[in-house]
Amino acid sequence: MMFLSLLVFSPLLGIVLLMFVRKTDERMIQWLGTAATVPPLILALFAFVQSGRGFRLERLDEARDWVRLTDLPFLTDAAYVIRYELGIDGLSLVFIVLTAVLATLAALASMLVKTEKKGYFLWLLALEIGMLGVFSAANFVWFFLFLEVTLVAMFLLVGKWGGLERERAAYSYLLYNGLGSALLLVVIAVLLARTGTANFALLHEMLHNPAAEGQLIAPLTAEGRRWLLGGLLLAFAVKLPAVPFHRWLIRVHVEAPPPVVMLHAGVLLKIGAYGMIRFGIGLFPDEFRSFAGVLALFGVINVLYGALLALRQRELKRVLAYSSVSHMGVVLIGLGALNEAGIQGAVLQSIAHGLISSLSFLLVGVLAHRMGTTDINRLGGLTKAMPLFSGYLLTAALALLGLPGLAGFVGEFTSFLGLFQTKPALAAVGALGLIFAAVYSLKAVLDITFGRPRDRREAVVGSREPQASAASLGEPQGGVVDLQGKEAVPAFILVALIVAVGVYPQLLAAPLTAVVKTMMNGLGG
Amino acid sequence: MMNLAWVVPLFPLGSFILLLLFGRRWKQRSAYVGIAATLLSLLWALVVLVDRLGGSTYEANWTWMTIGGVTLTVGISVTALNAWMLALVALVSWLVHVYSQGYMAGDERFSTFYAYLGLFTFAMLGLVLSPNLLQAYIFWELVGLGSFLLIGFYFYKEEAKAAAKKAFIMTRIGDVGFLIGMMLLFWQTHSFDYDDIFRAVGDGTLSPGMTTLAVILIFIGAIGKSGQFPLHTWLPDAMEGPTPVSALIHAATMVAAGVYLVAALFPLYEASHTAMMTVATIGGVTAIFAATIGLVQTDIKRVLAYSTISQLGYMMLALGAGSYVAAIFHLTTHAFFKALLFLAAGSVIHAVRTQNIEEMGGLWRRLPWTAPLFLIGALSISGVPLFAGFFSKDEILAAAWTNGPRLLFWLAVAAALLTSFYMFRLFFLVFSGKARHHEDAHEASASMVAPMFVLGVLSIASGYMQTPWFGSFLGEWLTDGAYRHEAAPGWIAVLATIVSFAGIFLAWLMYGAQKMPRDWLSARVPYVDELLRRHYYIDDIYRLTVVSLVSWISRLLAYVDRFLVEGLARLAAGIVGAAASAGSRGQNGQAQTYGAVTVAGLAILVVIFALTGGYWL
Repeated sequence: MMFLSLLVFSPLLGIVLLMFVRKTDERMIQWLGTAATVPPLILALFAFVQSGRGFRLERLDEARDWVRLTDLPFLTDAAYVIRYELGIDGLSLVFIVLTAVLATLAALASMLVKTEKKGYFLWLLALEIGMLGVFSAANFVWFFLFLEVTLVAMFLLVGKWGGLERERAAYSYLLYNGLGSALLLVVIAVLLARTGTANFALLHEMLHNPAAEGQLIAPLTAEGRRWLLGGLLLAFAVKLPAVPFHRWLIRVHVEAPPPVVMLHAGVLLKIGAYGMIRFGIGLFPDEFRSFAGVLALFGVINVLYGALLALRQRELKRVLAYSSVSHMGVVLIGLGALNEAGIQGAVLQSIAHGLISSLSFLLVGVLAHRMGTTDINRLGGLTKAMPLFSGYLLTAALALLGLPGLAGFVGEFTSFLGLFQTKPALAAVGALGLIFAAVYSLKAVLDITFGRPRDRREAVVGSREPQASAASLGEPQGGVVDLQGKEAVPAFILVALIVAVGVYPQLLAAPLTAVVKTMMNGLGG
Repeated sequence: MMNLAWVVPLFPLGSFILLLLFGRRWKQRSAYVGIAATLLSLLWALVVLVDRLGGSTYEANWTWMTIGGVTLTVGISVTALNAWMLALVALVSWLVHVYSQGYMAGDERFSTFYAYLGLFTFAMLGLVLSPNLLQAYIFWELVGLGSFLLIGFYFYKEEAKAAAKKAFIMTRIGDVGFLIGMMLLFWQTHSFDYDDIFRAVGDGTLSPGMTTLAVILIFIGAIGKSGQFPLHTWLPDAMEGPTPVSALIHAATMVAAGVYLVAALFPLYEASHTAMMTVATIGGVTAIFAATIGLVQTDIKRVLAYSTISQLGYMMLALGAGSYVAAIFHLTTHAFFKALLFLAAGSVIHAVRTQNIEEMGGLWRRLPWTAPLFLIGALSISGVPLFAGFFSKDEILAAAWTNGPRLLFWLAVAAALLTSFYMFRLFFLVFSGKARHHEDAHEASASMVAPMFVLGVLSIASGYMQTPWFGSFLGEWLTDGAYRHEAAPGWIAVLATIVSFAGIFLAWLMYGAQKMPRDWLSARVPYVDELLRRHYYIDDIYRLTVVSLVSWISRLLAYVDRFLVEGLARLAAGIVGAAASAGSRGQNGQAQTYGAVTVAGLAILVVIFALTGGYWL
């Protein structure tokens, strides 16, 4: 069966077809680019539904010979053979569905992108392949390859289609993530050298089964494992990002085109969470215990640091950027709790934040297009002119601050519940972030939608924020028109999903239960 | 029918969704959707109540989320308290829906208003059906959302925007306490269910220290929601919302949710003496504290708002003094008379288009329905005998005397004096005296008067559910027959009566007959007057301490972020760059250099190999 390969590489069809479209035919490009994201969406939803009905996801595993690194006679046949291997479980599945959904919505939202549309969609689809591949890979080498695809695609999307300081943002992104990747590569190389395999399941077997441990090419001491885990966590902490590795995220959030941020904040950051769970807890459960306290501490720092800085921002994108830092802290809190609630909470928070940040940036895109600015000081009273838009923006703010009944609450609640079992005092300190979240979300959104309408050409006198100019994307292009039908569709879908997860989280929790249980067994808990 | 109680909240939810989708098209007809939905809720709730009167508690649960081996549930629990609250909320909500049709007529966002009312009613009904803390918390925050949306209904007013934000944030501070308390309880008992938690208290699974900590944390949530000191400052500002909203949310139902929560967890609170004392003290202090501020307010709604805070303090005092029944009794009578007072105030505002009582006067004749109904409300809240408030307040004073500290009892008596004084100050200023340029002021439509009339009847009648003369029906039913009437000394009722008449008399002297100068207080102790007018400077204190501290930290972090963190990143980038240029110097095309680099590299590798035996770590 080639189901997973089909799922991951189906956007390739769109890429090929796009090659034959004229550069100037923007309608065709938009249509084709959007249509190309639909096949993976259908396949992902199909897999999700089927697994809900009891289909065993292991049956989707794929493996093919790819590279044989050595032919030394004393090694077993399997050693140093890197195969093309895909395979998913419940954990990967929820991330794949998230990716597929957000990719389609981001493609829809890309109608506001006007320059060099063809190249834009080519890279957007490449980005989708990379993301789907990251979550489908069953092999470290392939995981890394797909990860690098996202890195390149993202670098170009930010650098070419971004705002005024796009190149700086793109290089910043490349620098941080490149260093993270380099570290990851070292870890992968060491693991491969010592075990002779890059397959997750085999690695797991070799590292944990005393019988299989004899097959190690060379032994891995407990200290060595701790180093490897430390490297992994550091590499993924950059992706997540954890304070103090977050500066690139702020730049990318501000400078990248909003539909790309939908995918960036929605999916790419979650690779950090996914990696920590899959490889950190999955491969080094015993060593992970000794890192749990640090992770939880960094989680709390992230939550408070992000929230406190979000308070001060007067540019909506920066508010959202720091709120992403804060929300990724909740993921770390869940992982640091290292119990069932915590791990499940970290995943739920990842998905929830993916949906919510996508919604926010979808709206940011519309706002920038209509008003020519996302500078809060220059906006006000929008509810009058754009009631529908304002309603959606308020919904996004409420989701962001973790209102029950919406997805954000489920993630935060479950993660904090986890940490309250293991480190109640630390968790209580982190819970203060919930207050700050309410302050910054409401402050930003009410200043835009409530109050007296402002003249958007009103100069911001004495603004000391250097990024105020970067916020303006030129003159308003659309005039003040409320959310239009085509823009309202992705917004409505996202709100519907946010409500669905918030009201009935079992929808997401069900596929995770088995995975979380396996992890807990690994942890010996 | 109790097994179908979950349907009750769904009608207003349906109304919310329908109005959100089609409200703009239906315009003024939206009111009928809301009114019909809440009427169905009310009827359904009454059937449930009647069922519960003759039956026993019903509970049902459904899976919400599983975490490992634990299943978190949502469900319904029809206890006596819940059935009672369900009917009460549905009733007041329905009356306010009817009243709003007239009050909000012509508003541009009429359908949105009804949509929000529906959302709020749904959340409130969901809250009072909760069988567990998690569900209570979910709906607890959702009622806060309804309140937030309706306070900010006039979104273009800067005051409304600020008030809405403040209401959400202040209550959120309390909610975080609630959340922490609830999670602590969860890990002690492995359940959010009230019954499981009560059982854990009973069999000692829950240590006394943990119980005290958790319930006090949860009580912080109640402090926030019920506008108790020191988290009360949002409630007076919440008066920026439309007046029917103030009646429903900020008088009768949502602000009483804190009292309800403590009542729902009563066995837990009873297990901790410290917690009970905390509840009683906060309640008693709030009762007198808010009443003093109420003395000098000039905005009709703000007087009522401070009075609400004060009355909620009474209810907390009752709970802290161990009298669950007195608290719920007063919650009920207060819901009726305070909703009545707010709706009547709305009718006054509707007629004269101002909220400043110093610009009002002589409206008794112009508002022939509103005025007497307001008087009924004022008499009831002042605790004049034969009115509902008299019976419920008496019950609280009795409880405070028998179980509470003496000081709190006397504070409550003093607050009762102040209550009747400020209520009748309000009454005389608005309705007596000479009419002032409100020639066109006239009574509102029947749709506004009728709900007030119903509430007027209830502001008298609801007191007779629980009297020393006709038996304690409410108490016996609420406690499943375990209720025993506190043998309080008879002089308390006499004292309460004297106090209440004294306050009315004083108000009459100053504002009715004007035999005493109005500036009697401000002339003698101007600084006290100033202190009260500025609400004890609480808002200013918060601004100068908490708010400026947070903003200071935030500014500090901004510098850290911009210089320290960014600087480190530059440093890292610089090192990489330096390494790159150093490395490229080795590749200058000269064979000698390549040779040197190769030898050096080999030497390093050999050293490493020699030191580690080939396997590092």
